[in-house]
Amino acid sequence: MVPQDAESTAPVLIELQEITRRFPGLLANDRVSLSVREQEIHALVGENGAGKTTLMNVLYGLCQPDGGRLLWRGRPVVIRGPGAALRLGIGMVHQHFMLFPPFTVLENVILGAEPARTGVVALREARAHVAGLADQYGFDLDLDARVEALSVGEQQRVEILKVLYRGAQLLILDEPTAVLGPQEVRALFRNLRRLRDQGRTIIFISHKLDEVLGIADRITVLRRGRVIGTVQAAAARPPMLAEMMVGRPVLMHVPRSPAMPGAARLEVAGLSVSGAGGRLRVREVSFSVRAGEIYAIAGVQGNGQTELVESIVGLRPSAAGRILLAGQDVTALSVAARRAAGMAYIPEDRHRLGLVLAMSARENLILGHHRRDAFPGGPLLDDRAVDRFAAECCREYDIRVAGPGTPALALSGGNQQRLVIAREFAFTPTILIAAQPTRGLDVGATEFVYRRLHQIKDRGLAVLLVSVDLEEALALADRIAVLYNGRIAGEFRRGEADAATLGLYMAGGGPQAGRAVP
Amino acid sequence: MRAGGPLLAQAAAPIVAVLAGGLIASAIILAIHENPLRVFALMAAFNMQPGSVASILTSATPLIFAGLATAIGFRVNVFNIGVEGQYYVGAFAASLAAFGLRGVPPALHLTVIVAAAMLGGLLWGWVPAVLRRRRGAHEVITTIMMNYIAFNIVLYLLGLVRDRHLGSTARIRTPLFPPSAQMPRLTPLLNALGAPLPSYSTLNWFLVIALALAMVVWFWLRRSRFGYEVRAAALNPPAAEAAGINVAQIQFVMFLLSGAIAGLVGLSDLLGRTGYFDIDFPKGLGFLGISVALLARNDPLGVIPAALLFGYLDRGAEGIQAFGSVPREVITILEAVIILAIVVSYEIMGRYVRVLRKQEAA
Repeated sequence: MVPQDAESTAPVLIELQEITRRFPGLLANDRVSLSVREQEIHALVGENGAGKTTLMNVLYGLCQPDGGRLLWRGRPVVIRGPGAALRLGIGMVHQHFMLFPPFTVLENVILGAEPARTGVVALREARAHVAGLADQYGFDLDLDARVEALSVGEQQRVEILKVLYRGAQLLILDEPTAVLGPQEVRALFRNLRRLRDQGRTIIFISHKLDEVLGIADRITVLRRGRVIGTVQAAAARPPMLAEMMVGRPVLMHVPRSPAMPGAARLEVAGLSVSGAGGRLRVREVSFSVRAGEIYAIAGVQGNGQTELVESIVGLRPSAAGRILLAGQDVTALSVAARRAAGMAYIPEDRHRLGLVLAMSARENLILGHHRRDAFPGGPLLDDRAVDRFAAECCREYDIRVAGPGTPALALSGGNQQRLVIAREFAFTPTILIAAQPTRGLDVGATEFVYRRLHQIKDRGLAVLLVSVDLEEALALADRIAVLYNGRIAGEFRRGEADAATLGLYMAGGGPQAGRAVP
Repeated sequence: MRAGGPLLAQAAAPIVAVLAGGLIASAIILAIHENPLRVFALMAAFNMQPGSVASILTSATPLIFAGLATAIGFRVNVFNIGVEGQYYVGAFAASLAAFGLRGVPPALHLTVIVAAAMLGGLLWGWVPAVLRRRRGAHEVITTIMMNYIAFNIVLYLLGLVRDRHLGSTARIRTPLFPPSAQMPRLTPLLNALGAPLPSYSTLNWFLVIALALAMVVWFWLRRSRFGYEVRAAALNPPAAEAAGINVAQIQFVMFLLSGAIAGLVGLSDLLGRTGYFDIDFPKGLGFLGISVALLARNDPLGVIPAALLFGYLDRGAEGIQAFGSVPREVITILEAVIILAIVVSYEIMGRYVRVLRKQEAA
């Protein structure tokens, strides 16, 4: 039973009536009806592929609906493009920022909409306007700072300011918290509430239920292109929303078994790694992961996780330090040699590093295993052995494919990740490096990944989990280390630290930082 | 299945390109006050004659080798533009082995010559391959330079080994090859099988070798472990690296292989027709190989029909010039337009495929 929408008195700002949008072989939006009232934060949640992005593209004029209509303040409108959307008062804050790093905050805000007098930018006027906006909504920003020197959270504020400067009444935020740490999320939410209280309306797209419940006034759930229901946030609970999203009850907390750690399987000693441009991104990091435990490295994105993982798996040379795999020094070995020694790797970017999208599901399943004797045939690959292996993987990991020859790019994100997991769990590795294994996955697929990680831990595997999602690290890990600015800021056993403490370390506020939290 | 759309669209690109080329050539033929339908009909009729069939197969033979050599590099993003120089060096190395050895049984002699040709091409490809792997020098630049070096060094060396019995004539060529260095012709066999090809045709067993090589390369890329690595390295190099595949090494090996196959390009002319190497040895087959590989979408089997099409157009050009009073340059333009149309239609199809995929992902 879906709770019904409670009465509210505020007038409707925008109404979608039976919006339908078709793509070949896919009904992205199926008679979606939705109304957003003035001065509300309306969250749109749903699994990947539920049609959230298509719906927002319709609203922002990036694609035209095949059916249905849009009412803006009660009047039917046709939005032909982003320009038209902006003139109407609809602004979009994209997940990936569109800023010019060497320009200042002020320059970035006014770029493309500069007030000019006889061809000269009226900078003073613009500054007064932007400063007024920042003041009004409590945006803590130095207008003369260069954008490249700002934190991710501050850059996001610049993006929001850009949209406000262009006079948007309705702000659409697409997964705005994906790149933020817990402290920054709180700051964003303060800004959003203030925007609402002073008259703006916000559509907030997310698939993180806790956040949605924390910020939204009303929540609309989409599933497979249809509206499942709109609920008052105050009356909603996570399990109920999750069930609406997935269409079946979801276990929010996967049952876990206590860690029975054995011998150290992966030891990292004094590891330093340079990133792009030669700057040291990982500095003298040391830790060890034991058999039968999940060791998590938490931290805000961009604190050296990518470089650390790439160095451990052998994709990036280390500047100093050693990496031991089951006691064997593998620092100088190639990726192939490390894999042969029992290392498995779920990359954070499955499209770039995890899959060859143009290859079939079957071919992707043997990637990295293709030299094994399990597929006999000398210099040739035994097709039948590969077919058997692929069929077994698909059954065991419930990978839904039309056939083993289906290209990987035709699979859903969840199925793609199942494929990577099936491959990396095969042939019993000794250590699994899982970098953001649930990135971009919906609730159902995330639950699957969690279960599997617990399962192989119980089988005595060592798991190194790198995650920017603190909830995830807390839910899975037996030990958690926080990576801040390339160093391990602190290491905790399960239960030793709560989310608030870890959040503090993630923001650079640990005891080693030697300064107060900003 | 949803992915069928993009795949079908990709397969249609070469056909669309050939049709577009035909349309534009028609416009040019109209512009010189001839009837394009009559010209194409004439070309088709002329190309049906046994002499023409033999000629088409003969000119397709080196193009299959050249197309294969180019396609093998392009498949792994090695843009070997140096097939031209590599086959020149290969042909010259083959000539040295051909007139240098005497009194050897033909089977052995031909084997040695083929090995020398492949080695010559491989060595000429090895230089830019090493420059690319060790110093990151872009192979498009280095192979073009290597082409110039090849022509001039070969001419210089030809001066050193030229046949001095020719006396005061202006001919500059190597000594004639002994009979053991001649590739047997294919026409006797084909005549015995009932195909009425003229006996003067120089069509020889290199055609069979070319067809077999294309099939071997196709099978090997499709079924072998190395071929699997080649495909992964070509389609997504970072993912291949993450799976432990050494992409740079694969590109290096394919570069050398491309050079070795390039060494074979000139042999059907050298051992099946002329019997010596001179300053008039055919040039430009390497560049035609790029066109063939493009039309074949770098598919080893696709190289065969692509090479045959170029052989067909080439022969047809002679026909319409001799009997239709249409200059053969019209056909050269047609060939060029087809190449342009391929590039454009692949780009359009590529975009269309990307759109389809985006919609699938949405």
